[in-house]
Amino acid sequence: MATVAFEQATRVYPKSDRAAVDRLDLDVHDGELLVLVGPSGCGKTTSLRMLAGLEHVDDGAIRIDGKDVVDLAPRDRDIAMVFQNYALYPHMNVAQNMGFALRMAGVAKGDIATRVRAAAKILDIEEYLERKPRQLSGGQRQRVAMGRAIVRQPRVFLMDEPLSNLDAKLRVATRAEIASLQRSLGVTTLYVTHDQVEAMTMGDRVAVMRDGVLQQCDTPRTLYADPVNAFVAGFIGSPPMNLVDGIAEAGGVRLGSTLVAAPSVPARPGEAVTVGIRPESLSLAAAGDGIPATVSIVEELGAEAFVYAQLVGADGPVAEGANVKGNVIVRGEPSAAPRNGELVHLLVKEGSTLFFDAASGARLRG
Amino acid sequence: MAFPRRHALQLVGIAVLLLFTAFFFVPIVWLFLAPTKTDGQLLTQSPFAFGSFHTLGQTFHRIVTYGGHSMLIWLKNSAIYSVGGTALAVLAAIPAGYGLALTHFIGRKALLSITLVVMIMPATALVLPLFLEINKLGLYGTIWSLILPFGFFPFGVYLTYIYFSSTIPKDLLAAARIDGASEWSVFRFIALPLARPIVSLVGFFAFVASWNNFFLPFVMTYDNSQYPVQIGLQQLIGSTASFNPTNFTAGSSIVVLHRPDLAMAVIIAIAPVLIVFLFAQRALVSGMLAGATKE
Repeated sequence: MATVAFEQATRVYPKSDRAAVDRLDLDVHDGELLVLVGPSGCGKTTSLRMLAGLEHVDDGAIRIDGKDVVDLAPRDRDIAMVFQNYALYPHMNVAQNMGFALRMAGVAKGDIATRVRAAAKILDIEEYLERKPRQLSGGQRQRVAMGRAIVRQPRVFLMDEPLSNLDAKLRVATRAEIASLQRSLGVTTLYVTHDQVEAMTMGDRVAVMRDGVLQQCDTPRTLYADPVNAFVAGFIGSPPMNLVDGIAEAGGVRLGSTLVAAPSVPARPGEAVTVGIRPESLSLAAAGDGIPATVSIVEELGAEAFVYAQLVGADGPVAEGANVKGNVIVRGEPSAAPRNGELVHLLVKEGSTLFFDAASGARLRG
Repeated sequence: MAFPRRHALQLVGIAVLLLFTAFFFVPIVWLFLAPTKTDGQLLTQSPFAFGSFHTLGQTFHRIVTYGGHSMLIWLKNSAIYSVGGTALAVLAAIPAGYGLALTHFIGRKALLSITLVVMIMPATALVLPLFLEINKLGLYGTIWSLILPFGFFPFGVYLTYIYFSSTIPKDLLAAARIDGASEWSVFRFIALPLARPIVSLVGFFAFVASWNNFFLPFVMTYDNSQYPVQIGLQQLIGSTASFNPTNFTAGSSIVVLHRPDLAMAVIIAIAPVLIVFLFAQRALVSGMLAGATKE
């Protein structure tokens, strides 16, 4: 049981002029599963390794239970880590792998065996205890890596993309298992992933990072509904939010020749703004109503269909979106899905539109 | 039907290979056949003729009993020097290579470059300064004069460096550190058990280098009772009639050796290396291939 706090924690790699992690302020509550998410190179893994003691902290502090651990060796931090490639000791069998930390701590042999067996039972890997890692499948190795972490009963779990080496189906099953295991053990956990679905489904709270800077840290629902900037808005959600550049006007935002009505646009008329619309906030409407668009491709997933469409106006295609290249995505009913190339009209659900500063990406609130 | 060009090329290739095989095999075959013949037969018979097992026995007996079983003394000395030197070389090279490959300290890169430079320096070049050093330390004429120099084995350090930096993922060591292992424990419980192939390989090369070393013991030893087998072989040449025609006249009481005896001595001298190689072979081959494939 522990709390973790990053306070202005900074890491600048030698020979680099930009901080890999830039003045990170982040609190992980006791027993919480906090997910660090972001595109590759955003500093999420570096942050995790700073907490683990594997990466130097150039500035700021990292506290576990209020105590600054920056100058402590990894072995003195009482943390356990699950690595992306599992990092199992290849010459030791599963039981020895799981018991290694206890052996290093000088725990009596009998106690080690008891605790390893108990952890193995939780993870359902009792029958593999005598096997070497190379005799195990990817999923089994992942469990052993988890087992090695939980057998120690550490203050904090660190997980660095633990599911990225599993196939898609196993990943979905395992992510639910890890989340429920973490909740039953109640150990404070910092979990790193580049997969926003993993972040949304597992995290009590999710911290979104970009270029070494923390963008927003909140519950999955808040991140989705109330992002602080266009980056978070576009990163969270699958398919991503439609971000289309337009010009503010009285009573709405003009996208090309079409005016998207909005009761209060938080920008002066004539200012460039980015309009954010979730795919489920768009719907297909009858001709003459809504924004005209040409369908480029339809993805049918059974329960729903994603319609990729290109907004068109009287004077041709509308400005390109930031993350949806010239396109918008509409989440719709498969039964009502249009055909490729068809001209459709899109209605925006009232009050669902978000506005961002076109230059900085910062959220504009009305 | 025209003879395909690529068949012709293939034939030429095979012919060249056979020629080279013969070129390198002939001396070895000759060496192993020589002790079965008398000195006279060696000159008159075909180089590839087999003499007799009786002659082989006589040759063996003569060389083993020569000079009050000198050969056995030399072999024993060689064994002591080589085992001691190998142990020291491995003890020094493995941790050094590990440190260079997987830890960070000031001057690491410089040390690595120096290791490379001294690796290509001929060992013979260091014999004289080593002699002066050993002499100053009062170790001249002791077994340490032939064991301590093997603590300096840059080739072994470099091999170990390559092995550790190419086969051991850094996360493995990070995992151990997080698991509470001290730096010593990380080396002892994680790196060393995974380094068995490279320990065998470095040990084998150190053993061969020490066993076949001539110039260092030539300088460091002064008495027959201290000689390793390589210096002994040189002694034997001095006792071989055909190489020293003026020293030996008919009726002399000195035991005279002949060329087949010398061949026998050479075979005895290389036998231990062959035996070590055979026993270490499995570990050696895996050591040479380690890092070639990703597990």
